[in-house]
Amino acid sequence: MGEQIKFTLDGLKVTADQGETIWDVAKRNGNEIPHLCHKDQKGYNPDGNCRACVVEVDGERTLAASCCRNATNGMVVKTSSERATKSRAMVMELLLADQPKKNVSHDKSSHLWDMAAATGVAESRFPSVKKEHIPLLDDSHVAMRVNLDACIQCGLCVRACRDVQVNDVIGMAGRGHDAYPTFDLGDPMGDSTCVACGECVQACPTGALMPASVVNADQVGDRMDFDKEVQSICPFCGVGCQVNLRMKDNKVVYVEGINGPANEGRLCVKGRFGYDYIHHPHRLTKPLIRKDGAPKGLNVDPANPFTHFREASWEEALDAAAGGMANLAQAHGGPTIAGFGSAKCTNEEAYTFQKLIRQGFGHNNVDHCTRLCHASSVAALMENVGSAAVTATFNQIENSDVAIVIGANPTDNHPVAATYFKQFTKRGGKLIIMDPRGTAMKRHAEHMLQFRPGGDVSMLNAIMHVIVEEKLYDQNYIDTYTENWDAEKEHLANFSPEKMQDICGIPAETLRAVARLFANAKAGMIFWGMGISQHIHGTDNSRCLISLALMTGNVGKPGAGLHPLRGQNNVQGASDAGLIPMFLPDYQTVTDDTIRSNFTTVWGSGDFSSQKGLTVTEILEAVHQGDIKGMYILGENPAMSDPDVSHARHALEKLEHLVVQDIFITETANYADVILPAAAFYEKSGTVTNTNRQVQMGRAAVTPPGDAREDWLITTQLANRLGLGWTYETPADIFAEMKLNMKSLNNITWDRLSVENAVTYPSLSPQDPGQPIVFSDGFPRENKRAKFTPASIIQPDELPDAEYPMIVTTGRQLEHWHTGSMTRRSVVLDSIEPEANCSVHPDTLRVHGVALGGMVRLETRRGSIVMLARPDRSVAKDMVFVPFAYVEAAANILTNSAVDPFGKIPEFKFAAVKMSSA
Amino acid sequence: MALDDNKGVWKSGKGKGRLTSKGRQLDDKPWAEVQELLKGHPRSRDLLIEFLHLIQDKFGHLSAPHLRALAEEMRLSMAEIWEVATFYAHFDPVREGEAVPPDLTIRVCESLACELAGSEQLIAALQDGMDPSRVRVLRAPCMGRCDTAPVLEIGHNHIDHATPAKVEAAIATQDTHVHMPAYEALLEYRSAGGYAKLEALRTSGKWEEVQETLLTSGLRGLGGAGFPSGRKWGFVRANAGPRYLAVNGDEGEPGTFKDRYYLERTPHLMLEGILIAAWAVEAEKCFIYMRDEYPAILEILRREIAALEAAGLVTAGYIDMRRGAGAYICGEESAMIESIEGKRGIPRQRPPYVAQSGIFNKPTLVHNVETLHWITRICREGPEVLNSVEKNGRKGLRSYSVSGRVKKPGMHLLPAGSTIMDIIVAAGGMADGHTFKAYQPGGPSSGLLPASMHDIPLDFDTLQPHGTFIGSAAVVVLGHNDSARDAALNMLRFFESESCGQCTPCRVGCEKAVKLMQEPKWDANLLADLCTVMTDASICGLGQAAPNPIKLTLKHFADEV
Repeated sequence: MGEQIKFTLDGLKVTADQGETIWDVAKRNGNEIPHLCHKDQKGYNPDGNCRACVVEVDGERTLAASCCRNATNGMVVKTSSERATKSRAMVMELLLADQPKKNVSHDKSSHLWDMAAATGVAESRFPSVKKEHIPLLDDSHVAMRVNLDACIQCGLCVRACRDVQVNDVIGMAGRGHDAYPTFDLGDPMGDSTCVACGECVQACPTGALMPASVVNADQVGDRMDFDKEVQSICPFCGVGCQVNLRMKDNKVVYVEGINGPANEGRLCVKGRFGYDYIHHPHRLTKPLIRKDGAPKGLNVDPANPFTHFREASWEEALDAAAGGMANLAQAHGGPTIAGFGSAKCTNEEAYTFQKLIRQGFGHNNVDHCTRLCHASSVAALMENVGSAAVTATFNQIENSDVAIVIGANPTDNHPVAATYFKQFTKRGGKLIIMDPRGTAMKRHAEHMLQFRPGGDVSMLNAIMHVIVEEKLYDQNYIDTYTENWDAEKEHLANFSPEKMQDICGIPAETLRAVARLFANAKAGMIFWGMGISQHIHGTDNSRCLISLALMTGNVGKPGAGLHPLRGQNNVQGASDAGLIPMFLPDYQTVTDDTIRSNFTTVWGSGDFSSQKGLTVTEILEAVHQGDIKGMYILGENPAMSDPDVSHARHALEKLEHLVVQDIFITETANYADVILPAAAFYEKSGTVTNTNRQVQMGRAAVTPPGDAREDWLITTQLANRLGLGWTYETPADIFAEMKLNMKSLNNITWDRLSVENAVTYPSLSPQDPGQPIVFSDGFPRENKRAKFTPASIIQPDELPDAEYPMIVTTGRQLEHWHTGSMTRRSVVLDSIEPEANCSVHPDTLRVHGVALGGMVRLETRRGSIVMLARPDRSVAKDMVFVPFAYVEAAANILTNSAVDPFGKIPEFKFAAVKMSSA
Repeated sequence: MALDDNKGVWKSGKGKGRLTSKGRQLDDKPWAEVQELLKGHPRSRDLLIEFLHLIQDKFGHLSAPHLRALAEEMRLSMAEIWEVATFYAHFDPVREGEAVPPDLTIRVCESLACELAGSEQLIAALQDGMDPSRVRVLRAPCMGRCDTAPVLEIGHNHIDHATPAKVEAAIATQDTHVHMPAYEALLEYRSAGGYAKLEALRTSGKWEEVQETLLTSGLRGLGGAGFPSGRKWGFVRANAGPRYLAVNGDEGEPGTFKDRYYLERTPHLMLEGILIAAWAVEAEKCFIYMRDEYPAILEILRREIAALEAAGLVTAGYIDMRRGAGAYICGEESAMIESIEGKRGIPRQRPPYVAQSGIFNKPTLVHNVETLHWITRICREGPEVLNSVEKNGRKGLRSYSVSGRVKKPGMHLLPAGSTIMDIIVAAGGMADGHTFKAYQPGGPSSGLLPASMHDIPLDFDTLQPHGTFIGSAAVVVLGHNDSARDAALNMLRFFESESCGQCTPCRVGCEKAVKLMQEPKWDANLLADLCTVMTDASICGLGQAAPNPIKLTLKHFADEV
């Protein structure tokens, strides 16, 4: 920041920072100059095109747009001179000539009407533009309405789409008064590449772009037509976008992004339009108990569960749920009861869940879906860095000059994080993408390394080999902050790019270029997703990434760091809260007597097992073995999400007592003995922790349907029926208890979160918003040093062969969340992506005689599914990509349950498959 | 298996899903065609307009599948391509189901001089007489041939003093290609001493001295702004490199054809000027932005730049000519820079000025074609070539493009202090049957002055007190039968169709002005309010000057409106 600028604003001496605009300074001084094309929000550059904010600057021939004119020393500015106010009023009058009348406008409370009032203009003397000149209503998109008769060509939608979200779908086409925003090549919005992030709808100042839910059939609407608004956190991915929910009659009408630290106002299609699953008629409203003799199987219609279940009172259901578990424990021992908690619930709920299993049954057989996503990343990070969380927030990419995104498809899975990655490339940052699939971000990438599936270690070791060979490493950093460098160096000697290129499929020269680019960066970040972790060599993959960051000194400084992109909205928090069989809260090992006693002291109960518990896949295997007979499953859906899911479903079927607590009858609930109806995220209060280590406050916006209850309350009521004597009355009580044994929550209190919405941990003082970057002065390991752990090449467990010649890999699609129980019940999301599908290279489809729109059968050693095949050049010719959200073609029927030896994570990303036309 | 066994499979969207990923799909054939056209070209963003020309030239339009393929090749989004393709008049983007333009296009100039010469009747006759499935007749803005009005372009053949009969003859003989004028080529130019000055400067010249010479000569920017040419170099040099030079060859101000006049005769005077100026500011690279309405000049420059490269006077690619695509606004220097970068021609907000942040946000020296022509002449002949001429207290020479009701319309190089009477005399006097009524001193941006104001020297600075300016010295003379009201409406229609659409005062203002000016009786108060906001609040000179015809007509020809 340079010297302060001094100038005169409306006769007053004022100061401005370098680069501050007249508009900003005026606003700071209490004068919000009328504006239309300017949006006072980070990410939006002022454009100065509407001229509604013009002011008079002494000595200048024409008026200046205050929004994009920087203050300069000695400038004399008049914001309310007759000349300036006249022009501003005339601009408004010109625009109003072509606007729909206010009482029939698409948004009666639009910013435009506010500004018209501020300018004192209500009518226009000018003739209107001819009707036939205006583009017709575009209602081709299920979520949004485009009424360009209200368009003022301010270009905010273009900036929203291109500068902020970097989806590049909207352009300003045409010229002069024929200029209008268009989608792609002038296509209807619904037929375009629009990903429905809705940023344009949130930015539009006139109602020309509106959420479909806010306008009626005559396209008349009003954004301010709501009776309540509540700030909360998006319930989908680990980005943790802050949202403002607007309700009418206890229903959410629409959602807008607000200024959270991770999202700065942005949302994606799920966050903005996917909220309505909570109002779906399938919602569970009453506890259910399995009817006597009703066969267990995937056989319950969620619209009518009464074929297999009967309604029960809460008293009866809780008694049945707790009693069943207690009986099994009594008869066969506590360890015969296992629990799956949820990364979709709050921190408090994760904490109470693991506490119930540990305190109630005396062992550690409690896990959750982190096992299926980042368990191997956590294992490698704990081993080598001493901490499982990200070393830097993803937003730090704004300070990077190079970034690697590997095994992740953020535009689909972390769409708002992806906007920051794309913005980074727009300002010149070099993005290196490594993925067997050509992901959507490849258009923005400097290098797209489309390596052979499973070739991660060979590729990463080759890159590191070059860094060693060409001495591009940061010796000073290595000497100060790491250990085991010599072993790593020696190990890497065997991995020359020339040797590795045939294994990973990337030419040696490219590997060398990427090594140089990353190693020479001033600050580089590494992001990874499940493409890294969901392999039997997932931990080795992560070890490589950690080594790469360490040897280049890219940890602990702005723009540098390791960032595994966490999947669920609260997978970070649930892991932090101890929903893991090896760890108590804050990754404190269960094997340490002192640590356990710290907890049992707080809990006021006796010791529990010092043995690490079983993981998700191990628990289901133990069910098959008969070692586990009862389960309490909260908000998890292993009947869809586990590998070799037919096998997993058989395990669920085999259980003697299964309690499922959820908002719908999930595939897992099909097998339940007792189903407990829970409140959805927007119906409860509690904290969640996102991928950035930001602990954020979620607030209840609507009341749960029927008798559904908040999860923490149900768990508490079960605990008390198990005789645990819990006394929590609110989530705040639970949070207070968590703090007693969780240093990560130091300086973070419920009250503080209630006011600030988000605090990043670690927070160093009650005022510190939290540290976006950690480990700038060492690591939480012995001698404060991080460790290099060499990784060798391990082939995927099930290689293609003559019978199963292709590779199937699984993942997600933008519109669908995991097993689809929420998103397939959202009108917008289900309309955009209604049908089970897979992606196959068009040449491969041709070879198999599959025409456009044709179906394929995919078969592995474990089962087969049939679905629509979409041609997709980004998939290698011997690969097929299958999203796992669709029950009618459940991808996990195909997947292999072999696991990584350290993280115990299944190899969802690789199985041998054969494809045929169906 | 019991029937209810499948009820847990609670959902199936079979048959409802999209068959492909979102949006338009890439087709192999157009992709291969685009790859073939782009062979050998780097996929730089700034070449987008050049590539659109390649496709338009080859296929006669820009089909959506080709644009989809181009997006793939250039790693651009479709929106980025579409907004450029739809901005420029010479591109015909065609979506599926839309009519493909016929093989032959006739563009008929409808600007003031041509309208005076009967372009409306010509358009009507052509539209009546042509088979629209074979030939399309389009209205077009000034083609810089106002001295031979009315004019049209059939294919790339410009027909002067056009008539339906001449058009029919051209079609019959397939005479639809550009006609090349005789011009002074490199060999000839060099044999007369051309480029000796450049070479001398390159070996031992001092740029400050040359700049001083320019200042002494009084040379000012002849694109119309009149900024002292000698000052620009220092401003540009004050900013750290890399620096660029851009030649504004987008001579679009209706009535102006002086740049064309010089380039069709002595192109190397400009080319040497480019290299002198580039030497002076140490430009990394020079861009010539040449309007697409001048196909002959595009060809001349293509040939002569190649000749310069062959002669070793410039390295290959140092002079990079970019072809406009039919947009008057690209004569505005920052809009031109946007267009050079391959984008829509949208003027930038100032500050920063292009001397600080121009092409690719680097310091950029922008000169008009004629300015460069004179830079060479001043360097070769001395500052006296301009400053020795004096008339009516004004120094220097002015290239007046004269058209309208005069006997000898054409480019007339006269002392810069010439009045309209001097110009009419130089142009052979008023055309038979016409009495001098009014004149446009410098394009439609300058509006219209009455014959009574005949004694003003038509130079920089002299017209401002009268609410107008000399601009590019595009003089159109009106006779007693011509309507000032119609002329003003012609001018505003031009601005309406050429406004880029960026800012409200110009985009909406021009459109509303045309509607108000079509009323039998003008609403003087409302028009005055409109003129004020356009002048005060428009971003660039187009919108700021567009009201001049209204203001001057209200002032001097109130009885007509």
